[in-house]
Amino acid sequence: MGKEDLVASNPLRALGLEKEDGTDGRRVGLVMARAGLGKTAILVQIAMDSLLRDNNVLHVAIGEGVDKTRTWYDDILTLMNGEKKVENFQQMVDEVMKKRMIMTFKENSFSAATLEERMEDLSQQGIFSADCLVIDGFDFSDANSASALGELKGFMEKNNLKMIWFSAVSHRDDDRVSANGVPAPCHELDEVFDTVLLISPEENDLRLKTLKCTAACSVDAGKSLVLDPATMLIRKA
Amino acid sequence: MSVDLSNVRNIGISAHIDSGKTTLTERILFYTDRIHAIHDVRGKDGVGAKMDSMELERERGITIQSAATYCNWKGVDINIIDTPGHVDFTVEVERALRVLDGAVLILCSVGGVQSQSITVNRQMDRYNVPRISFINKCDRTGANPERVTEQLQDKLGLNAHMLQLPIGLESELEGVVDLVTMRALYFDGENGEIIREEEIPAEYQDAAEEKREELLDAVSMFSDDLMEAMLEETEISTEMVMDAVRAGTLALEFSPVFIGSAYKNKAVQPLLDAVQSYLPCPTDVENIGLDLEKDEEEFAVTNDSNDPLIMLAFKLEDGRYGQLTYVRTYQGTLNKGDTVFNTRTGKKVKVGRLVRMHSDEMEEIDSCGAGDIVALFGVDCASGDTFTDGKITCSMSSMHIPEPVISLAVIPSDNKAQVNMSKALNRFTKEDPTFKTFVDHETGETIISGMGELHLEVYIERMKREYGAEVEVGAPQVAYRETISQRADFNYTHKKQTGGSGQFGRVAGYMEPLEEGEYEFEDKIVGGAIPREFISSCDKGFKKSLQKGTLCGSPVTGVRCVINDGAFHAVDSSDVAFQLAAVGAFKEGYMKAKPTIMEPIMKVAVEGPSEFQGAVMGSINQRRGMIIGTTEEGNYTVVEAEVPLSEMFGYSTTLRSLTQGKAEFTMEFASFKPVPKSVSEELVKKYQDEKKEK
Repeated sequence: MGKEDLVASNPLRALGLEKEDGTDGRRVGLVMARAGLGKTAILVQIAMDSLLRDNNVLHVAIGEGVDKTRTWYDDILTLMNGEKKVENFQQMVDEVMKKRMIMTFKENSFSAATLEERMEDLSQQGIFSADCLVIDGFDFSDANSASALGELKGFMEKNNLKMIWFSAVSHRDDDRVSANGVPAPCHELDEVFDTVLLISPEENDLRLKTLKCTAACSVDAGKSLVLDPATMLIRKA
Repeated sequence: MSVDLSNVRNIGISAHIDSGKTTLTERILFYTDRIHAIHDVRGKDGVGAKMDSMELERERGITIQSAATYCNWKGVDINIIDTPGHVDFTVEVERALRVLDGAVLILCSVGGVQSQSITVNRQMDRYNVPRISFINKCDRTGANPERVTEQLQDKLGLNAHMLQLPIGLESELEGVVDLVTMRALYFDGENGEIIREEEIPAEYQDAAEEKREELLDAVSMFSDDLMEAMLEETEISTEMVMDAVRAGTLALEFSPVFIGSAYKNKAVQPLLDAVQSYLPCPTDVENIGLDLEKDEEEFAVTNDSNDPLIMLAFKLEDGRYGQLTYVRTYQGTLNKGDTVFNTRTGKKVKVGRLVRMHSDEMEEIDSCGAGDIVALFGVDCASGDTFTDGKITCSMSSMHIPEPVISLAVIPSDNKAQVNMSKALNRFTKEDPTFKTFVDHETGETIISGMGELHLEVYIERMKREYGAEVEVGAPQVAYRETISQRADFNYTHKKQTGGSGQFGRVAGYMEPLEEGEYEFEDKIVGGAIPREFISSCDKGFKKSLQKGTLCGSPVTGVRCVINDGAFHAVDSSDVAFQLAAVGAFKEGYMKAKPTIMEPIMKVAVEGPSEFQGAVMGSINQRRGMIIGTTEEGNYTVVEAEVPLSEMFGYSTTLRSLTQGKAEFTMEFASFKPVPKSVSEELVKKYQDEKKEK
């Protein structure tokens, strides 16, 4: 099995992520869940899928270290390989990882402007130009989050980014939701997102509900993918 | 020896190079009557400063090796570790900070917060060391202590406030105004030893009052009494202010700033008063030990001289008095003649002599108690070992020792130099955990590695001067490897007939990449195609071939050789014939197995101010590095990358010039990876050219 097969057999195909290259417009996505349910695992799989499709991915982790984030990628790749047995796996890993960069910030050091500055610096020096951005740990409860999101969207268009994915923590004791079912603290921001996924524990399963999606999705809103609780890999329901 | 621990201060003096640490220490020793004359670092009298005890240090005017010294100021015992200022020697600074309770950060009034000040400050943060700052060289043209204080706030993020105001500046520096007592201090006499206290000059009165208000505002949060007095506008006593400053300093939330000129003998004594008043005594600081009997459970040491002994060896020195081990006693009492246990090795050691060090002189003492820093004689241990009296099994938390970042080959000029070099290397590696040495079995060269070019340069100099070991320094060498990337068959016949008994052997089989391990050999011969006694000859032949690959002459690893057929001759086959046949078979298979050259890849972490992040990443990119990620914390960024070792030589110099010396890097081996085609071609060509020359 080769890299292409890994892409083709990825359950994320159901979300039509391969169509975010401009023909279907750019995509801003959001993965929501309560703390500890696997948001980072989902983001890493979305990022990995993008990497395998030869995109450059910048993974921004707020409040986490580089090593921990890197371990997520190593683990997910190993698990994916365990299932599919890719030929020349190590060579593929080496190639794919050249397309990934991790940028971590302390909670109080992150701002859209700083990120933009860092990315421009990388791009101008010809070191790294991201096609996709993954931001894990963005604080949506911050009063300025709407304006920061606006800045990032503007930046996305200016720099021709194909997609930006965020993660957000929802809270059990906050039952505010938007018309689409997007929980607080993102319930008033759901217009910003083209795709919203919610990890929801149901009986023994972790369901990945599609609260909102673009026309490219073949999964109807409300239907779900499943997250394997043992491996945190996404599977078809 | 003082028994009352409230009268003990263990302090370090740290700063950027050339900020005047050694000069300041010299004055401290003079004012505390430890020395009776002042000698300057680069003095015309040729004596050199007291703390610069190594010949090389005196010559270069920088402190290379920290030396411990002791003095007594107004009834308080002060143990001082003078620490080096150069970035290559930061392990000395780190080791000092690990065992000290407080520190004085010295800054140049003109240079301000410089790269090493930033590094040292971060190290102090790491070990939670309360600190006071001394803005030195206020006699120099361009001196601006207020600006330096602002830099302490902005660049180091310290809640720094001046406790003094200068009276005059640059060449007109006369003295200081003490903002706590609101008195003017002047320093008279040939060496500034006579302190004259007067009213604040009228022209400084307003500025002093304004600055005092600022100071009180800043420290009032550390004292309810002071806060109350300020709110109720009642009298604010000197003690009240001092207590607040001390509380803030110990809590690492306030950093008092003092000013002066050590060289001109101005305001050094008030700094000593500040050490006494504001820096912690051993009982003010919580030191954590690890209980080895309870799965390394953390516990706070008691600082009580009556409790079981715990002490940490933080520095080894092999000087003219023999092996010296500097120890910090955390609790208990150590007497001359006591037997102590090294908790790492489990060995018992008798303490024959106990001394208090005073740079390179010493004072014999009979015992030392909790909180003391002393030196032991003839105790065999490594830096970082914990000693107890056997009543307790614990270890003090391990020290942060950075990995060496640069290696060089050293070649002794003759046999005598070889012997001396071995002695020198043995001593240096014991003294300094960041200096490492090994013999590269592939090249036969002795490799030394350390924290930077200057670090190694100093050791090479010391080898020459102290041990008479004349050595040549080779260019840094990278250990490449070769490996194969696909399976390939071989079928080789070695046949030689030159009269007399001939040589004959045929070896057939295949080689394939080995996922884990360096080499594997498998015999799948059936029907005696190769007789039993020659199977090991084939293995030997393959092993011989592994020693030198044909691409660039580097060792071959990751190969599995399988033999499944062959032929022999009843008379002409021999051990040598089959060895040579295997060598030929290997060569044949190797070229078909797509051999590649592998190079060591290092995991590199560059840490520096965020403003240089772009430059740092650019420099890594230019060196074929792959940036893994960046971590941004406040104004600091760590860039993590994987970079080929061959590209890292000279990086410390590049980094220094790119970042004005404000960034530092560490690197460690990560893995072997194939070199890019262009590099491979270059290495192959170089190897072929070398072969032709031979």
